[in-house]
Amino acid sequence: MVLKNNPNPRTDMNDGAVHITDLVKTYTDDRGRPTFTAVKKINLEINNGEFMVLVGPSGCGKTTTLRMVAGLEKITSGTISIGDRVVNDLEPKDRGIAMVFQNYALYPHMSIFNNMAFGLQLAKKKKDFITETVSRTSKALGLDHMLERKPQALSGGQRQRVALGRAIVRNPQVFLFDEPLSNLDAKMRVQMRSEISRLHGNLGNTMIYVTHDQVEAMTMGDRICVMKDGLIMQVADPLTLYRQPENLFVAGFIGSPPMNLLKGKVEKGDSGLVFKETPGENAVTIPLKGPVEAIASKVVGKPVVFGIRPEHLTEESKNGSTAPVSSTIDIAEPMGSESLVYMRAGTGNLIARIHGESLYHMGQPITVYVNLDKVALFDAETESVIR
Amino acid sequence: MLNQRLLIKKILAHTVLIASCALVLIPFAMVVLASFRKGNFPPSTLWLNLDQWTLDHWKYVLGIPFREVLNATTGETKMVSPTVAPLHWFLNSLVVSSIASFGIILLSGSAAYAFARLKFRFRNQILTGLLVLQMFPQILTLTAYYRILNYIGERIPWLGLNTFAGLILIYLSGISINIWMIKGYFDTISTSMEDSARIDGASRFQAFIRILLPMSAPIFAVVFILSFISMISEYPTASVVLQESSNRTLAVGAYSLLDEHDKLWGHFSALAVLSGVPITIMFLLCQRFIIGGLTSGGAKE
Repeated sequence: MVLKNNPNPRTDMNDGAVHITDLVKTYTDDRGRPTFTAVKKINLEINNGEFMVLVGPSGCGKTTTLRMVAGLEKITSGTISIGDRVVNDLEPKDRGIAMVFQNYALYPHMSIFNNMAFGLQLAKKKKDFITETVSRTSKALGLDHMLERKPQALSGGQRQRVALGRAIVRNPQVFLFDEPLSNLDAKMRVQMRSEISRLHGNLGNTMIYVTHDQVEAMTMGDRICVMKDGLIMQVADPLTLYRQPENLFVAGFIGSPPMNLLKGKVEKGDSGLVFKETPGENAVTIPLKGPVEAIASKVVGKPVVFGIRPEHLTEESKNGSTAPVSSTIDIAEPMGSESLVYMRAGTGNLIARIHGESLYHMGQPITVYVNLDKVALFDAETESVIR
Repeated sequence: MLNQRLLIKKILAHTVLIASCALVLIPFAMVVLASFRKGNFPPSTLWLNLDQWTLDHWKYVLGIPFREVLNATTGETKMVSPTVAPLHWFLNSLVVSSIASFGIILLSGSAAYAFARLKFRFRNQILTGLLVLQMFPQILTLTAYYRILNYIGERIPWLGLNTFAGLILIYLSGISINIWMIKGYFDTISTSMEDSARIDGASRFQAFIRILLPMSAPIFAVVFILSFISMISEYPTASVVLQESSNRTLAVGAYSLLDEHDKLWGHFSALAVLSGVPITIMFLLCQRFIIGGLTSGGAKE
C-alpha cells in the first residue's frame, strides 16, 4: 500500500520504473456525475531509465495519463507505482517526478533563478546548495548569463530550456514531458529534440514523453506507446512499430507518408490467391505469393485491408517475391532524392516512394512492383493484423 | 478648398474636446474656488476676487480656530474654535474604507479562487445567483441591515449600530460583482503554472499565494481602488448605521453641513475637495500595479 515515510534511497536500479495497472480516468461534472472517460483501463510497464513516448491524436488520453502519473489528476481506478511505491495518493512533490509543460508554465513574476530555485526553496534546502545546483544546471543549459531576467525577456527556446532546467534541478527519478516542443518553431523544435535526447543519454533517468507528433515519437523514443480513444493500440520500439503494426490505426498513424491501406477481399484466382480491391474505377488486383500467401489463405473471401509502405513499391522488380501493379499517375511530388507518386487506385491513392532520377507527370501510366515480403493484411472488422 | 475643410474639421473637433473638458473641469473648479471664498454661499462664479480670498473654510475643515465675520457692515466678528468633527470624519472614512477594501479583496479573492479553480456542486448556479443578487441595489436591504446590526449589537456591542465594525460588516456583504471580476481574471491565467508549482512542492494555498496572487495584482488593484472610492462617497448605509456626529464618515458629515436652515456651502466645498485627497493618493499607490503584461512570458497558449 502507500508507503509514506519510505526514505527511498535512489540507488535501487528499479527506482525509476513506472507501472501502470488497470488505469481508468473518468471526468465528472460539478455534481460528480461522470461525463467522459479519457483513459480506459490501460496497462503499461515503463522500465527504469527508459524513454517512453506516449503518442496519439488529440483526445486519446495520453496527456491525462501523464497528468495522473504526475499527480495533477485524480485516478478514478487502477494503480500507478513508481519504483516500488504505489503513488496513487501521494502529492506530486513526493512522487520523485518533474514535469515540463507544453506552454512552459514558468512563473512570470519571478527571475529565471527563482523559477529554477522555487522547488528547492519550498523544500527548505540550504541556500548554498540551491545557488550551487541552479548555477551548475543553468551553465549546462547555457542559461547562466540570464538568471536575473524574467521569463518575458526570453525567447521560446530559452523559456523551454528554463523549464527543462527547473525539472533537472529537482533531481527526479522520472521526467514527464507534456508536448514540450509544440509551441516552438520548426528549427528550434529539431534542436530541442536532440537536446532532450542528449539529456536522457547523460542522466539516464526514466522519461515519459507525450506528443502528437509521430516524427518526435519515432526519433526520440526507446519505446513508443500508441494511444487512441483512451486505449493503448500498441507498445513497441520504433522499428517494430513501423515494420509490424498490430492494427490499422498504428499502421496509418506511424510513418509519413502513411502506409497504403487498400480495402478489398482475398480471392482464389487462376494462379493462386489474389487481393482484389473493392470494385471501384481503378481497383487494383495484386497476386499474393511468398510468406503472405499462407496468411492470406486463412481469410479467403473475407473483407481485409491490404497494407504496404510507400517505399515497398519499387519501379524495378527486385529479387524475391514481387507483384506488379499498373495504374496511372494522379499526382507526382519530386522531392529531389526521391519522388512521391500518387497512383490511382480503387478507393483512393496508392502512394509509391521511388527514386528521384526521373520526373513523372500526371496521367502517365506506371507499373510498380509490390514487395510481397513487406505486405501486412488486416482484418477489416477487428482492424487487427492477420498473422 | 481642402485646407479649409480640414480647418473646419479641426475647429469642430477641438470645440467638442474643449467642451467635454469644460464639462468635467468647470464644476470642480467652482468647488475649489468656493472653498477659498468668503462667506458660505453656493459657488456662483468662476472668478475669485482677491478681497474675497479666505482660508476660513479650510481652517474649519482642518479644525484650526479662525475669526468669523458675522456682520460685514458693523465689523462684528467672532472667534470660532471649530469642533474637530470634519477632520474626524475624514479619518473615519479613511479607516473604514481601507479596512473594508482589504476585507473585500480577501473575501472576494478567495471566493473567486474557489469559483475559478475548484469543482463543487452548484458552482454555476451560485455564480449566477451572485450576479442576480447584485442587480438589486444594496440600499433596498437597508432596513434589514439596520435590524441585523441592532440585533448583533445587543449581543456583541462592538459590532452593532453606531460602530465602524458594523458598517464594515455591511460593506463586506456587497462583493459579488468583485468576485465575478476577479474570477474572470483568474480564468485567463493558465492553470499550468499552479500545476507546476504543485509539482515543485507547493500546497494549493502556497500556489495561490505565491503564484496566482502576484500574477493577479492588476485586478486586485482595480477592485481595491473601486471599492475604496465607492465607500468614501457612500452615503445611505453610513448615514443609517453611524448616528453620532463624531463617528460620521466623510460623505455623511459633508451632507450634514448642508442643514436645511443653514447651508454651509463654503465649508462643504472645502470638505469636498479634501475628500478627493485620499482617493487620489490611493489611486497613485494602486496605479503601479495596474500594468499590462504582468502574466506574459510565463505560459504560451
